[in-house]
Formats: sequence, structure tokens, C-alpha cells
Amino acid sequence: MACSSSGKFPWNLLGWATLSALLAIGSGILRRTEAVPQSLAWLVAILPVAPMVGYFFGVERWMRQLDEMQRMIQLEALLIQFGVTAILVMGYGTLARAGAVPDLPISRSWHWLWFALFWSWLLGQGIVRRKYR
Amino acid sequence: MTNRLRVLRAERAWSQAELADRLKVSRQTVNAIETGKYDPSLPLAFAIARVFQQPIEEIFHPDGANHA
Repeated sequence: MACSSSGKFPWNLLGWATLSALLAIGSGILRRTEAVPQSLAWLVAILPVAPMVGYFFGVERWMRQLDEMQRMIQLEALLIQFGVTAILVMGYGTLARAGAVPDLPISRSWHWLWFALFWSWLLGQGIVRRKYR
Repeated sequence: MTNRLRVLRAERAWSQAELADRLKVSRQTVNAIETGKYDPSLPLAFAIARVFQQPIEEIFHPDGANHA
């Protein structure tokens, strides 16, 4: 049986996310000060994305370490996360088209997607964990 | 599905955490199985049977089944 005990908070994921956030701040500062030559601007811009690769491998490794019920909880939470985020994004998009809310370009609004993903995941955790408590 | 996990565990004076350790699952999983909120997979049910040294059918019963 390939399950083990679990439930421990995956701190490495927080590390990857923090690194990404710090790089996003640093990248923003470098862009504003124009300290980087134009030919390397794309590299500086993409720096915050690199730690997310580590983040997703970390999530995958963490999920594999969970026992079967914990894994099911995470999958159900991810389903809620996906549903809530999709509804939010679609809802905002249609409202923006109708002119009810500001039409934000993706280059200025992508970080809100992470915000929605995080809080909807937390919401999913709360709902699903309650079910199995 | 109902089960006798809590009774069998009590007979051995094991805590949920101790049983979880033996089964290599989390304490929450043991609790959810005991309270009937989660039905274990077949491999986990076999592991439980092995830990308690009893056949699976002596531990797990389908809903409505007549058992002692």
C-alpha cells in the first residue's frame, strides 16, 4: 500500500511561493528603475515564474505522500478551487464586457488570479475537511 | 458500511494515533473510518485486517448486514 501518514504542512511550498513573490517585487523594481538592458527585460520579467515550477513539483510530491483520505480531501478541495476561480474569472470577464467593472488587462490583473486560487483553495479545505471530521 | 474498528482498537487499548502509525495513515483518517465518514480502499481494509489479525468480513459490514 503506497500511503503514509500526512497532514504536515508542506513548508517548502510556502518557500517557493515566497521566493516567487520576492522575485516579482525585485523584478518590478528593476523594471521601474530601468537598470536592466532592454534585451534582458524578458528574463527579468519571467524570473518570478521560475519558482512556480518548483512549487508545482512540490505539490505533486506532497500529494503522493498523503494517505488515501487526505489525498481525496485535497482533490475535492482542488475541485472547489477550480470551480470558484472559474466562476469568479468568468463572472468578472462578462461584467467587464458589459462595462459594469473596470476592464483589466491580463498584464495588470494576473496576480489577482493567484489571490483567488489561494482563497478558494482555503475555502475548499474548510468545506471538505468539515465533511470528514 | 459499518465497522468494528473502534471496538477492536479499544480492546487493544490503542489510541487513534497509535493505530494510525501502524497503518501508516493520518489520525484523521482513522477517525473518519471509525465514525463511518470514510470507507477505506481495499488495500487499506486489508492492512486493517492484518493489524487486527482478523478477516476483513469480521471488521467491515455492508450497511444493513446482520452481524454480532
